[in-house]
Amino acid sequence: MTRRLGILFVFICIFAVVSAEWVGGNPPDPYRAPDPMAFGSTSGASGAICTFAPGASQ
Amino acid sequence: MLIRIVLITTLLGTLAVTAGVRFALLMGLGLSIGFTLERFGFGFAGPWRRLILARNGQGVMAQLVAIGLTALCIQPLIAWAPGQLLGAIAPISLTMILAAFVFGLAMQLILGCGSGTLVNAGSGNLLAIVALPLFCLGSFLGTLFVPWAIEVTPHPVLSLPQTFGVGGSMAVTIGGLVLVGFGVARYSTAPLWNRKLLIAAGIIAGLAVLHVLVAGQPWGVVYGLGLWVAKGAQALGWDPATAAFWTHPINQTALASSILTDTTSLTSMGLIGGAALAAWRGAGETPLWPGLKPWIFIVVALSGLALGISSRLAFGCNVGALFSGIASGSGHGWAWMVAGFLGSVVGVRWREWLWLRASEEGA
Repeated sequence: MTRRLGILFVFICIFAVVSAEWVGGNPPDPYRAPDPMAFGSTSGASGAICTFAPGASQ
Repeated sequence: MLIRIVLITTLLGTLAVTAGVRFALLMGLGLSIGFTLERFGFGFAGPWRRLILARNGQGVMAQLVAIGLTALCIQPLIAWAPGQLLGAIAPISLTMILAAFVFGLAMQLILGCGSGTLVNAGSGNLLAIVALPLFCLGSFLGTLFVPWAIEVTPHPVLSLPQTFGVGGSMAVTIGGLVLVGFGVARYSTAPLWNRKLLIAAGIIAGLAVLHVLVAGQPWGVVYGLGLWVAKGAQALGWDPATAAFWTHPINQTALASSILTDTTSLTSMGLIGGAALAAWRGAGETPLWPGLKPWIFIVVALSGLALGISSRLAFGCNVGALFSGIASGSGHGWAWMVAGFLGSVVGVRWREWLWLRASEEGA
């Protein structure tokens, strides 16, 4: 058994997560897609970011 | 090579059509970052370990160059387009500093930081494959502790661009990086500059700047990992209304939307994919089993859990807090660097002790 088996396992897991969410009724909606780039557009950052600290004085 | 190009084009084209062009671009950036990290051997935990144990500062110098180049580009951009672009600015606190210490320690135990664990898992490393699900779970559990941590300890925000202006912030950021570089140069006994790592640093900086332009916010890792588990927990009956973190409109939107439209989820999945593309050929000759005693996997799993919880309480891992935080001019990035490095000093010793026993018994 080589690491290729590990790579395939990880890919199957990711595919399963994305598929489960999609089938579970939460597919992406291309008609609500933001502009291709945040810079220079009206649809900027989502704000869902690792440094997000609700309640802190940001 | 042709098969890889066809696969990537199909994946990104499908994502562009089903979700949107921005999300395909973000996945593409993640793939590029993952490929670069794996192919060039650019990382965070490994270079810190080599500096501490072997007094080799090449990897750390490359990190400093990457952060500095990114800072020089993104700080003026963010200041110029405040409604569109957002910096990775977070508070500094006692819990944040302690969490960064724990993250530094745990990332040395498994030799995988935020980006490193994803890249290692993508390259088929069994230890990282065991750690990653626990990292995700810990990232979710950490979100449940964040409101408590903010309530019990002061969490002041130190934004260098707001304090000193953009020019002053860039001067402080570059000055700080140069100062750290001098410290590394004094301690390191190896040649300081490595051409391959410097090329990687330039590529990573370029991709990090592109990430800000496309996503509107700097590169991060752990938010997406926690989001995946939160969605799973919700499907199993967990009510997000019971957790203060997830009642915030930004997080409610993330929970209600597809992970194929979440910035950090896309780049994190891309990182795994990019690393897999870079590692596939060599992976066929490397055994899956690392040749260690099975009990080490318990250590790895617990370390993964610690990485997840601590990265949420520290407002980011080595990517979101250290790399993007410092590049954005956030004081918490500097606090993370100090605490994370001290944790790493302890972590490399613990790893030596544990791995010696795991391999002795396994031999």
